[in-house]
Amino acid sequence: MAKSSGSLRQYALTRLALVIPMVLILLTLVFILMRVAPGDPIQAALGAKLSPAQLAEKRHAAGFDKPMLVQYVEYLRQVVTFNFGRAITDNQPITTILRVNGAATLELTVSALIVALAIGVPIGLRAGRLRDGAFDGFGRLFGIVTYAAPVFFVGLLFQLVFSKWLDWLPNSGQLNPIDQAELPTHTNLTVIDAIWDHNGAAFTDSLKHLAMPAITLGLLLSGVVIRLIRTNIIQTLKGDYVEAARARGVPERKVVMRHAFRNALVPVVTVMGLQVALLLSGAVLTEETFNWPGIGNRLVSYLSNRDYVAVQGIITVFALAVVVISLLIDFVNAAIDPRVRY
Amino acid sequence: MRRRGHLLPTVVMVAALSLAAAACSSSKPKAESPSTGGGSTAGATTGSNTGTGKQIVMGTTDKVISLDPAGAYDMGSWTLQWNIYQALLKIKPGTSDIENDAASKCDWTDNTTYTCTLNPGLVFSNGDPLDANAVKYSIDRVIKINDPNGPSSLLSSLDNVSVSGTDTVVFKLKSPNSVFPYILTTGAGNIVDPKVFPADKLLADDQVIGSGVYTLSSFTKDQQAVLKPNKSYKGSDVLANSGFIVHYEQTASTLKLDVEQGNVDVAWRSLSPTDVASLQKETDKVKVVTGNGIEIRYLVFNTSLAPANNVAVRQAVAYSIDRDSIAKNVYNGTVQPLYSMVPQGLAGANTAYKDLYGATPDPDKAKSVLAAAGVKTPVDITLWWTPSHYGAVSGDEYTEIKRELESTGLFKVTLQDAEWDTYSKAYPADQYAAFQLGWFPDYPDADDYLAPFYLQGGFYKNHYDNPQIDQLITQEEGETDPTKRASQIDQIQTLAAKDVPTIPIWQGNQVAATGLTVTGVDKTFDPSYTFRMWLIGKS
Repeated sequence: MAKSSGSLRQYALTRLALVIPMVLILLTLVFILMRVAPGDPIQAALGAKLSPAQLAEKRHAAGFDKPMLVQYVEYLRQVVTFNFGRAITDNQPITTILRVNGAATLELTVSALIVALAIGVPIGLRAGRLRDGAFDGFGRLFGIVTYAAPVFFVGLLFQLVFSKWLDWLPNSGQLNPIDQAELPTHTNLTVIDAIWDHNGAAFTDSLKHLAMPAITLGLLLSGVVIRLIRTNIIQTLKGDYVEAARARGVPERKVVMRHAFRNALVPVVTVMGLQVALLLSGAVLTEETFNWPGIGNRLVSYLSNRDYVAVQGIITVFALAVVVISLLIDFVNAAIDPRVRY
Repeated sequence: MRRRGHLLPTVVMVAALSLAAAACSSSKPKAESPSTGGGSTAGATTGSNTGTGKQIVMGTTDKVISLDPAGAYDMGSWTLQWNIYQALLKIKPGTSDIENDAASKCDWTDNTTYTCTLNPGLVFSNGDPLDANAVKYSIDRVIKINDPNGPSSLLSSLDNVSVSGTDTVVFKLKSPNSVFPYILTTGAGNIVDPKVFPADKLLADDQVIGSGVYTLSSFTKDQQAVLKPNKSYKGSDVLANSGFIVHYEQTASTLKLDVEQGNVDVAWRSLSPTDVASLQKETDKVKVVTGNGIEIRYLVFNTSLAPANNVAVRQAVAYSIDRDSIAKNVYNGTVQPLYSMVPQGLAGANTAYKDLYGATPDPDKAKSVLAAAGVKTPVDITLWWTPSHYGAVSGDEYTEIKRELESTGLFKVTLQDAEWDTYSKAYPADQYAAFQLGWFPDYPDADDYLAPFYLQGGFYKNHYDNPQIDQLITQEEGETDPTKRASQIDQIQTLAAKDVPTIPIWQGNQVAATGLTVTGVDKTFDPSYTFRMWLIGKS
């Protein structure tokens, strides 16, 4: 007998309450990680360029000469007020970086997720149905290879084949330079902005630019999807209710798609939520390979310049994004499956 | 009752309708794309600077640190700044000569006072007047802000700036410095609007304005800068295009691909030698334009660390380096052997290292120098280089140097590398006995290749101190007679070559790849490295 919807509310509230200590632990870890290296962020970023007196002045202005506990409290206060400070090396507000570049990363990761599902679900489904057959072998091998192949290597291969040899797709960037200059910015999502502006040429160009990075990153995740779907399909096809459906004469296609597949999706939703972290880390390398103007690209740049303030701000946002998405996935899961509740 | 999932079909339908709407909708008139090669002439010629011709797209791997003159001392930033701002003086295209920019005249009133008079009626792109106070304000704020990435060190010889009336600026120097006019042509001399730029901090990149040939229409860091003709510009430069887009690339390989595919009209800084060689063969798609450059690469010895603290070891290395092989085999002929720290093309440059150590390796002389000094061979020496700051070819270059030194039988070379951030802190901190460095000119004068290198151990702090050279540098900086000055510069190079605190290796050409219909790139190549976007056109 199903539990009442009040239980879902209780689950949601409890889950929300648990987010607070989770976020606190995450922020503390980020704070500590950024400070385990000797010196401080000012020294790391500007040490070669300033005199000791100038370094001390900048250190004082940034609060890095205060006791660690005071710095920690100040860091938490900044996070709560969404003030992540300014990058040391180029003085850009972190929030501006997140707004402008975050949209590009969102565009890439959502597209990659769509690609991962579009490739992974059909292959996983068929491989699970035709277990131990030739297609199953292909599907498993495909999943392993796409998961194991370094994303930057795959990206470079794609650039070589589709851009250099075949000249089908542009090799890097989000739009061609002209459209990038002329397309008005509404959302910082070029596909959406092109639709908003009724600019068919820019829309087509943005999709062409998005294709290779999205497929590169999507392939990485598709390996996970394939194995998950396959395993769950195999499990659900063994279920009694599936046998019962077959015994009632339900066509095999309906048995798989209507009965087995939907149930097989439930754990996939959970795992896919956790793969957001994989997507974000893969996005860093993908953005670097394709000069995609996302947060990952900026993160690499700030890391190279030892700009720990910027790195800390960006990583904090990444961590919070993973927490929020995990929370949403848990809510979806609880809504789908009444067993997943406190 | 079982609920049926209506969500997926709905999403698909909405997506399909959106795609259809986008495909059927009328597009905005698209600006001319480089890949199409054609397009209408944009902009009327009725205004003072509306620009005719086509929009140009340039790809580069350079990065912008800051578009505020007080905040940048790098090629990527100055490339844009030279096209957005005016200074009192500028370098005449194709030469090392100074000509007037915002100033109608500049001259020395005595050997430490330099006075400039502004052209009348100058305004910034927002209509604010550009007067003597703006010039003073601009110089003062560079010094006051003293940004770690900024050019304030270039103004170290300046004592104060004063104004007389609204059109006269007076620069008082601490000591005679005949190269001071060149300083005014650098990014440190760019003139900003006092009503827009704060006096004590940098202005955000996307808010900068100037009085130069272009205005900055938009700027997305590490992605793109869009420049439009400045309708308020009053100067001698004439636009050959209707606008300029600088597209920032991540790697040389994507830059090469973009110019091959016509996504950019010009690819400038930095194509690798292999890319250049490949592009030179693609004559149906691109043309490679080269010009003399004065970028240099050199090896520095820390004269306080063994074995570099022994002049015989340094001289033996000088006898053993094969610059021709490096230029040909590593850089595919895109660089020239360099025999002095002052590159060829600058007044006073000589070939001191060739005169003393020969143009080709001489292992016998290297051996006898070491023997005379009682140095046991093979000499263990570690050469440091950095992988990304000077281009990925650095590894090949130092592998070749290692091969050359070891082929003499006199050296046992260990190669070590570190990324720039670590490297730039380590070499002035006495951690490397011998290390790679490079130099771009701040201004096209020999002094820029002498004072930074030899005074007080140089900016790289290699502990080389020659009082005679120090005195000669002070003399040449204050000398107004070109002949005497050239002699002093010649002496400095020869003295330094004998002591070998550094070994010059190569001098780089300027290289760009362009579409077949692009013009004007060759006109902007000169020792100042000023990329004058207004000269670039497309037929």
